[in-house]
Amino acid sequence: MPRGSGSPRRPRTEARTRRGTAKSPPAEAPAEQETVVLQEAVVTEPSGRPGTCARAETEASPSTPRFRIFIVDTGWDSPGHKVLQENFGLIRELQREDPIYVLGREKSIEYLRHHEERIGHDPIIAVHDLAAMDDTGTADFHGFRLRLGLLRTHQQALLALQNFARFLRLHRQSTDLEGEIRRGLRREGLAGAIEIVLGHEAREIGG
Amino acid sequence: MPERWSDYLTIFMSALAVGYMVYEIDRRQRKLREIFDVLDAEDAAVTARLEDMVASGELQPYTGATLV
Repeated sequence: MPRGSGSPRRPRTEARTRRGTAKSPPAEAPAEQETVVLQEAVVTEPSGRPGTCARAETEASPSTPRFRIFIVDTGWDSPGHKVLQENFGLIRELQREDPIYVLGREKSIEYLRHHEERIGHDPIIAVHDLAAMDDTGTADFHGFRLRLGLLRTHQQALLALQNFARFLRLHRQSTDLEGEIRRGLRREGLAGAIEIVLGHEAREIGG
Repeated sequence: MPERWSDYLTIFMSALAVGYMVYEIDRRQRKLREIFDVLDAEDAAVTARLEDMVASGELQPYTGATLV
Protein backbone atom coordinates (compact mmCIF):
# COMPACT_ATOMS: atom_id res chain seq x y z
CA MET A 1 0.00 0.00 0.00
CA PRO A 2 1.44 3.40 -0.86
CA ARG A 3 2.22 5.51 2.15
CA GLY A 4 0.39 8.76 2.77
CA SER A 5 2.13 11.95 1.85
CA GLY A 6 1.56 13.47 5.29
CA SER A 7 4.02 11.39 7.27
CA PRO A 8 5.30 13.63 10.08
CA ARG A 9 9.01 14.08 9.57
CA ARG A 10 11.13 17.02 10.39
CA PRO A 11 13.23 18.14 7.47
CA ARG A 12 16.88 17.42 7.67
CA THR A 13 19.20 20.23 6.73
CA GLU A 14 22.05 17.99 5.82
CA ALA A 15 22.62 14.43 4.86
CA ARG A 16 24.54 12.82 7.66
CA THR A 17 26.95 9.96 7.43
CA ARG A 18 28.72 8.20 10.23
CA ARG A 19 31.97 6.47 9.78
CA GLY A 20 33.27 3.27 11.29
CA THR A 21 35.86 0.67 10.59
CA ALA A 22 35.22 -1.59 7.67
CA LYS A 23 35.58 -4.86 9.55
CA SER A 24 34.54 -4.20 13.13
CA PRO A 25 30.71 -4.09 13.23
CA PRO A 26 29.07 -7.30 14.40
CA ALA A 27 26.79 -9.13 12.01
CA GLU A 28 23.77 -8.66 14.27
CA ALA A 29 24.13 -4.90 14.79
CA PRO A 30 20.68 -3.28 14.59
CA ALA A 31 19.94 -0.84 11.81
CA GLU A 32 19.66 1.99 14.35
CA GLN A 33 23.26 1.61 15.44
CA GLU A 34 25.27 4.63 14.46
CA THR A 35 28.24 2.88 12.93
CA VAL A 36 27.93 2.44 9.19
CA VAL A 37 30.29 0.07 7.42
CA LEU A 38 31.95 1.84 4.55
CA GLN A 39 34.18 -0.07 2.21
CA GLU A 40 37.67 1.39 1.84
CA ALA A 41 37.56 1.01 -1.92
CA VAL A 42 34.82 3.61 -2.29
CA VAL A 43 35.20 5.95 0.70
CA THR A 44 37.42 9.00 0.64
CA GLU A 45 38.26 10.19 4.15
CA PRO A 46 38.23 13.96 4.65
CA SER A 47 41.69 15.42 4.79
CA GLY A 48 43.12 18.36 6.71
CA ARG A 49 40.51 18.41 9.44
CA PRO A 50 42.13 18.31 12.86
CA GLY A 51 40.10 16.72 15.60
CA THR A 52 37.64 15.02 13.31
CA CYS A 53 36.03 12.20 15.27
CA ALA A 54 35.56 8.92 13.42
CA ARG A 55 31.89 8.93 14.34
CA ALA A 56 31.21 12.64 14.03
CA GLU A 57 28.41 13.81 11.79
CA THR A 58 29.73 15.27 8.59
CA GLU A 59 28.18 17.54 6.08
CA ALA A 60 27.34 15.79 2.87
CA SER A 61 29.77 16.33 0.05
CA PRO A 62 29.35 15.18 -3.52
CA SER A 63 31.91 12.40 -2.99
CA THR A 64 30.36 11.09 0.24
CA PRO A 65 28.40 7.89 -0.32
CA ARG A 66 24.73 8.67 0.18
CA PHE A 67 23.30 5.39 -1.09
CA ARG A 68 23.99 1.69 -1.05
CA ILE A 69 22.77 0.10 -4.25
CA PHE A 70 21.88 -3.59 -4.42
CA ILE A 71 21.13 -5.45 -7.64
CA VAL A 72 19.02 -8.60 -7.46
CA ASP A 73 18.82 -10.43 -10.78
CA THR A 74 18.03 -14.12 -11.17
CA GLY A 75 18.50 -13.90 -14.94
CA TRP A 76 15.01 -14.02 -16.45
CA ASP A 77 15.20 -13.54 -20.22
CA SER A 78 13.31 -10.25 -19.99
CA PRO A 79 13.71 -6.74 -21.39
CA GLY A 80 14.66 -5.49 -17.92
CA HIS A 81 17.45 -8.06 -17.63
CA LYS A 82 18.81 -7.22 -21.08
CA VAL A 83 18.68 -3.47 -20.47
CA LEU A 84 20.49 -3.84 -17.17
CA GLN A 85 23.17 -6.05 -18.72
CA GLU A 86 23.72 -3.63 -21.59
CA ASN A 87 23.85 -0.51 -19.48
CA PHE A 88 25.35 -1.60 -16.18
CA GLY A 89 28.76 -0.15 -16.99
CA LEU A 90 27.22 3.24 -17.59
CA ILE A 91 25.16 3.07 -14.41
CA ARG A 92 28.27 2.18 -12.47
CA GLU A 93 30.20 5.10 -13.90
CA LEU A 94 27.37 7.53 -13.18
CA GLN A 95 27.08 6.32 -9.58
CA ARG A 96 30.76 6.14 -8.86
CA GLU A 97 30.43 7.62 -5.36
CA ASP A 98 27.97 5.01 -4.14
CA PRO A 99 28.89 1.34 -3.68
CA ILE A 100 26.99 -1.12 -5.82
CA TYR A 101 26.48 -4.65 -4.53
CA VAL A 102 25.50 -7.33 -7.03
CA LEU A 103 23.91 -10.41 -5.46
CA GLY A 104 24.65 -12.69 -8.40
CA ARG A 105 22.40 -15.41 -9.69
CA GLU A 106 22.59 -17.83 -6.75
CA LYS A 107 22.18 -15.22 -4.04
CA SER A 108 19.39 -13.58 -6.02
CA ILE A 109 17.53 -16.88 -6.27
CA GLU A 110 17.97 -17.45 -2.56
CA TYR A 111 16.74 -13.92 -1.88
CA LEU A 112 13.59 -14.44 -3.96
CA ARG A 113 12.92 -17.85 -2.44
CA HIS A 114 12.50 -15.95 0.84
CA HIS A 115 10.40 -13.22 -0.77
CA GLU A 116 8.20 -15.14 -3.17
CA GLU A 117 5.93 -12.21 -3.89
CA ARG A 118 8.82 -10.59 -5.77
CA ILE A 119 9.50 -13.46 -8.13
CA GLY A 120 9.30 -12.08 -11.65
CA HIS A 121 9.84 -8.50 -10.49
CA ASP A 122 13.57 -8.76 -10.91
CA PRO A 123 15.96 -7.31 -11.90
CA ILE A 124 15.40 -5.28 -8.76
CA ILE A 125 17.67 -2.37 -7.95
CA ALA A 126 17.30 -1.54 -4.26
CA VAL A 127 18.69 1.75 -3.03
CA HIS A 128 19.28 2.21 0.69
CA ASP A 129 19.39 5.84 1.78
CA LEU A 130 22.20 5.96 4.34
CA ALA A 131 21.12 9.37 5.59
CA ALA A 132 17.58 8.17 6.31
CA MET A 133 18.85 5.00 7.92
CA ASP A 134 21.12 7.02 10.19
CA ASP A 135 18.12 9.12 11.17
CA THR A 136 15.31 6.63 11.73
CA GLY A 137 16.79 3.26 10.91
CA THR A 138 14.42 1.05 8.93
CA ALA A 139 11.30 1.97 10.91
CA ASP A 140 10.34 4.60 8.35
CA PHE A 141 11.28 5.53 4.81
CA HIS A 142 14.83 4.36 4.14
CA GLY A 143 15.15 3.96 0.40
CA PHE A 144 13.40 2.73 -2.68
CA ARG A 145 13.45 0.00 -5.29
CA LEU A 146 13.32 -0.06 -9.06
CA ARG A 147 11.59 -3.22 -10.28
CA LEU A 148 12.73 -3.56 -13.85
CA GLY A 149 11.01 -6.92 -14.23
CA LEU A 150 7.62 -5.21 -14.25
CA LEU A 151 8.41 -3.45 -17.51
CA ARG A 152 7.34 -5.25 -20.63
CA THR A 153 9.33 -3.56 -23.37
CA HIS A 154 12.97 -2.67 -23.92
CA GLN A 155 12.12 1.01 -24.29
CA GLN A 156 10.14 1.13 -21.04
CA ALA A 157 12.96 -0.56 -19.14
CA LEU A 158 15.57 1.76 -20.62
CA LEU A 159 13.51 4.85 -19.83
CA ALA A 160 12.99 3.67 -16.25
CA LEU A 161 16.69 2.98 -15.81
CA GLN A 162 17.60 6.38 -17.22
CA ASN A 163 15.05 8.04 -14.93
CA PHE A 164 16.50 6.17 -12.03
CA ALA A 165 20.10 7.13 -12.79
CA ARG A 166 19.15 10.77 -13.34
CA PHE A 167 17.16 10.84 -10.12
CA LEU A 168 20.04 9.47 -8.06
CA ARG A 169 22.44 12.08 -9.47
CA LEU A 170 20.04 15.00 -9.06
CA HIS A 171 18.97 14.20 -5.50
CA ARG A 172 22.13 12.96 -3.82
CA GLN A 173 22.03 15.95 -1.47
CA SER A 174 18.28 15.97 -0.98
CA THR A 175 16.89 16.39 2.54
CA ASP A 176 13.49 15.08 1.52
CA LEU A 177 14.24 12.13 -0.68
CA GLU A 178 10.90 10.49 -0.05
CA GLY A 179 9.07 13.59 -1.26
CA GLU A 180 11.28 13.78 -4.33
CA ILE A 181 10.56 10.14 -5.13
CA ARG A 182 6.82 10.69 -4.85
CA ARG A 183 6.93 13.78 -7.04
CA GLY A 184 9.74 12.99 -9.47
CA LEU A 185 9.54 9.24 -9.98
CA ARG A 186 6.07 8.17 -8.95
CA ARG A 187 4.32 11.29 -10.26
CA GLU A 188 1.89 11.39 -7.36
CA GLY A 189 -0.63 14.14 -6.83
CA LEU A 190 -2.24 16.54 -9.26
CA ALA A 191 1.04 17.81 -10.66
CA GLY A 192 2.08 14.25 -11.31
CA ALA A 193 -1.18 13.55 -13.06
CA ILE A 194 -0.63 16.54 -15.34
CA GLU A 195 2.88 15.34 -16.11
CA ILE A 196 1.55 11.92 -17.02
CA VAL A 197 -0.92 13.49 -19.44
CA LEU A 198 1.49 15.96 -20.97
CA GLY A 199 4.86 14.30 -20.49
CA HIS A 200 6.39 11.52 -22.53
CA GLU A 201 8.53 9.54 -20.10
CA ALA A 202 6.02 8.99 -17.30
CA ARG A 203 3.40 7.99 -19.83
CA GLU A 204 5.73 5.52 -21.54
CA ILE A 205 6.96 3.91 -18.33
CA GLY A 206 3.51 3.67 -16.78
CA GLY A 207 1.84 2.45 -19.97
CA MET B 1 -36.57 16.27 -29.22
CA PRO B 2 -33.23 15.95 -31.11
CA GLU B 3 -31.54 18.91 -29.48
CA ARG B 4 -32.26 17.69 -25.96
CA TRP B 5 -31.16 14.16 -26.75
CA SER B 6 -27.96 15.35 -28.36
CA ASP B 7 -27.24 17.46 -25.28
CA TYR B 8 -27.72 14.42 -23.08
CA LEU B 9 -25.52 12.40 -25.34
CA THR B 10 -22.82 15.07 -25.28
CA ILE B 11 -22.87 15.21 -21.50
CA PHE B 12 -22.79 11.43 -21.26
CA MET B 13 -19.89 11.09 -23.68
CA SER B 14 -17.99 13.90 -21.96
CA ALA B 15 -18.45 12.21 -18.60
CA LEU B 16 -17.22 8.94 -20.13
CA ALA B 17 -14.17 10.68 -21.56
CA VAL B 18 -13.32 12.38 -18.27
CA GLY B 19 -13.92 9.16 -16.36
CA TYR B 20 -11.65 7.24 -18.73
CA MET B 21 -8.95 9.88 -18.40
CA VAL B 22 -9.13 9.72 -14.61
CA TYR B 23 -8.98 5.92 -14.76
CA GLU B 24 -5.97 5.94 -17.10
CA ILE B 25 -4.06 8.47 -14.98
CA ASP B 26 -4.77 6.45 -11.85
CA ARG B 27 -3.69 3.25 -13.57
CA ARG B 28 -0.40 4.76 -14.69
CA GLN B 29 0.26 6.26 -11.28
CA ARG B 30 -0.33 2.85 -9.71
CA LYS B 31 2.05 1.29 -12.20
CA LEU B 32 4.71 3.88 -11.40
CA ARG B 33 4.22 3.21 -7.68
CA GLU B 34 4.84 -0.49 -8.32
CA ILE B 35 7.90 0.15 -10.45
CA PHE B 36 9.43 2.71 -8.07
CA ASP B 37 8.61 1.11 -4.78
CA VAL B 38 9.45 2.95 -1.55
CA LEU B 39 11.17 1.08 1.26
CA ASP B 40 9.50 1.54 4.62
CA ALA B 41 8.85 -0.36 7.84
CA GLU B 42 7.38 -3.32 5.93
CA ASP B 43 10.72 -3.84 4.22
CA ALA B 44 12.81 -3.57 7.38
CA ALA B 45 13.63 -7.28 7.48
CA VAL B 46 14.73 -7.33 3.85
CA THR B 47 16.86 -4.25 4.31
CA ALA B 48 18.40 -5.61 7.47
CA ARG B 49 19.30 -8.86 5.73
CA LEU B 50 21.08 -7.03 2.91
CA GLU B 51 22.88 -4.74 5.34
CA ASP B 52 23.97 -7.75 7.37
CA MET B 53 25.42 -9.32 4.24
CA VAL B 54 27.45 -6.16 3.68
CA ALA B 55 28.55 -5.92 7.30
CA SER B 56 29.64 -9.58 7.39
CA GLY B 57 31.58 -9.25 4.17
CA GLU B 58 29.36 -11.69 2.29
CA LEU B 59 28.69 -8.89 -0.18
CA GLN B 60 31.48 -6.71 -1.48
CA PRO B 61 31.19 -3.64 -3.71
CA TYR B 62 31.09 -4.77 -7.31
CA THR B 63 34.16 -3.69 -9.20
CA GLY B 64 33.46 -5.19 -12.62
CA ALA B 65 32.56 -3.07 -15.62
CA THR B 66 29.88 -5.51 -16.78
CA LEU B 67 27.45 -7.83 -15.07
CA VAL B 68 28.18 -11.55 -15.32
